[in-house]
Amino acid sequence: MDMKRDYYEDVRLFGSKVVLFWFLVLIAFLGFFPFLFRNYYVYLANYMAINVLVAIGLNLLVGYTGQISLGHAGFFAIGAYGTITLMTSAHLPFLVALVLAAIGAALLGFLLGLPALRLEGPYLSIATLGFGLTITQVIGRIGFFGGRQGLHAPELTIFSWHLDSDRDFYYLLITITVILTLVARNLVKTKVGRAFIAIRDADIAAETLGVNIMLYKTLAFAVSAFYTGLAGGLYAFVLRFIEPQIFSLLMSIIFLAMVVVGGLGSLFGSIAGACLLSWLDLELRNILSIPYLGGWLEALSKSYFSITGVSNIQLIIYGSIMVSIMLFEPLGIYGIWIRTKLYWKTWPF
Amino acid sequence: MKKTTFLLLAVLVVFLGLASICTAEEGVTDTTIRIGQWGPQTGPAAPWGAVARGTGVLFQMINEEGGIHGRKIEYHMFDDAYNPAKTKAGVKELQEGIGIFGWASGVGTAPGLAVKDYLMQRKIPWVGPAAGSLHWISPPQKYLFAVYPLYYSEAKILCKYAIEKLGKKRIAIAYQNDDYGKNGVSGAEVELAKHGMKLVAKVPVELTDTDMKPHIMQLRKARADLVLLWVAPGHAVRIIGTGRAMRFTPQWMSTSTCSDFPLMMAISKGLWRGVITGSFAQLPDSTSPLMLKYKKAFEKYAAKGERWGVFFYAGIGFVEPMVEGLKRCGRNLTRERFVKEMEGIRNFKGIFGRIDYAPFDPNDPYCRQGQKELFLIQCEKGGKAKSLTGWMEPD
Repeated sequence: MDMKRDYYEDVRLFGSKVVLFWFLVLIAFLGFFPFLFRNYYVYLANYMAINVLVAIGLNLLVGYTGQISLGHAGFFAIGAYGTITLMTSAHLPFLVALVLAAIGAALLGFLLGLPALRLEGPYLSIATLGFGLTITQVIGRIGFFGGRQGLHAPELTIFSWHLDSDRDFYYLLITITVILTLVARNLVKTKVGRAFIAIRDADIAAETLGVNIMLYKTLAFAVSAFYTGLAGGLYAFVLRFIEPQIFSLLMSIIFLAMVVVGGLGSLFGSIAGACLLSWLDLELRNILSIPYLGGWLEALSKSYFSITGVSNIQLIIYGSIMVSIMLFEPLGIYGIWIRTKLYWKTWPF
Repeated sequence: MKKTTFLLLAVLVVFLGLASICTAEEGVTDTTIRIGQWGPQTGPAAPWGAVARGTGVLFQMINEEGGIHGRKIEYHMFDDAYNPAKTKAGVKELQEGIGIFGWASGVGTAPGLAVKDYLMQRKIPWVGPAAGSLHWISPPQKYLFAVYPLYYSEAKILCKYAIEKLGKKRIAIAYQNDDYGKNGVSGAEVELAKHGMKLVAKVPVELTDTDMKPHIMQLRKARADLVLLWVAPGHAVRIIGTGRAMRFTPQWMSTSTCSDFPLMMAISKGLWRGVITGSFAQLPDSTSPLMLKYKKAFEKYAAKGERWGVFFYAGIGFVEPMVEGLKRCGRNLTRERFVKEMEGIRNFKGIFGRIDYAPFDPNDPYCRQGQKELFLIQCEKGGKAKSLTGWMEPD
């Protein structure tokens, strides 16, 4: 079924015509999405798309190259602040500012990749953690970036297209997300991706085979930071207002959770993880309005917790979902998908 | 013939029906008015979530009394955990899902700023954001009515009292390095300049600072005899504690954000005694008829474990002008009418200070700044507050 007969068959962007067909169906669905659902869901989709970009970028680093990062909120902040300041101070058009800010994030990613050459595991996570915390501290103290008072996003215009609704922004965002997802897929299927995976599986073995560790490790950091920076620049326009406090340690941890819950070393997993956690993040708030269950939770909270306890139930459920996914399927959502596929393929055996 | 008449009548009925649906304002029905609010119920800012619950108790009380001109208030509150992305999601969901007439209060500058443009573009009224930021009124917005007095004004009032009544000569400030703190610095500088004085020290405090010794060193070196603490409650307590340990005990003054004395006494283990702060609302033990009425409603409707603290009843005070505006509209409630009635509010007195609005003028930020006055209180034994002054307005 999945047997590959030559190299070119393996590097193909779409494994088969069936995959291509479903991809086109998905694109068509995404195209009609804003007409099928009300504006709130378009906003939700925008929020998801941004997290998908971050999760893909982070998965290239964590899942494919085997390097950990707890500082991606820092790259996210650089993208957001860079895009806005380049637009307001240097009067650059949006797309130019966005790409330049993402390149800025990539450069810092490259620099952060240098210590990663000598650090591994918990030591690397501490180094990246420090980076993430430092960035928001530095931004918070520089008046040019609005300090702790934050920055307002300017009006968004691309050539003569004025993007002032969630729907306009959705089309921009989905286009960027689809293109960058395909780029990432191409990347992991070809030479660079193979080098990443080789480093993850056994870096010494990879080096003996001629993989330039220094080049590819720093490249993984740079590419990952580029994706995250780009997502940050777009996020600034979803919120239209940014301040350093938004880019907290918790944000970096949630990013990492998206990748792990989705499935390490799988682009499908990144997309699924990002969508699931973003959806839970915004929608679990409504847990009390679910019929029966909501009333029961409220009664439970009233008899055993204080009034604020009931709100914490959403956090408890958020946590339990993550724990149970990891407990029953260490490969995350991607693992569940593989198992389901295998089950149906071999059905009824 | 009969058939035609019937048809005509049917068409007329359908048209009238449609017309009445079209003219009805979003979020208003014959029997209800839908009002929304966000507030952190989880996360680090959760203590401020009491504001949104206070508003809920006020609305419950109003509904029990029969509502506003026969319409009950349908209150939709949600938890945003002080995360602007969540605030925006919740506001959009409620606004576009069920339709909200107007938004009440809402804690926090960042969450509020994330939805400000959205609400203003759609011409949706928003009254009493629970943060004393200049962002709400500069530039003024037609549909946004601020209540919370500006930190800038508070600093002026505190400095005036320090110079004229306490006779202090060397005033310093420790301020949080953000909007909040900087407004305090500029207010203090302007007031001191009026008396030919300058701040002897301006010490910035970062949100993440934990060791206060360097700050105290600077204040002591400047030989300050009065220090304004324009910081968050946790930092204020830490500064006073470190000061005590380093034998630096000037007169401390702080802002209304630190005016919940029972709470401040508890977290400072009694060190808060003697501190002077501003207060934008009547004191918790006030016996004014209105406060007693609200307290009764609190006892009746508030959940178990809720405390009658400043944040809780501030949630009532922030929304009082909105309720007044809704009452003035009568049965004919539209957003435009509501804004017009709000603009007519003068000398309104609830449990906060006097509230005045004026017709919209894009060049006058104060046409949308309701409360300007405050009074000063001092923390006494057991966290009781003593009023030092009557209501004061900065000149």
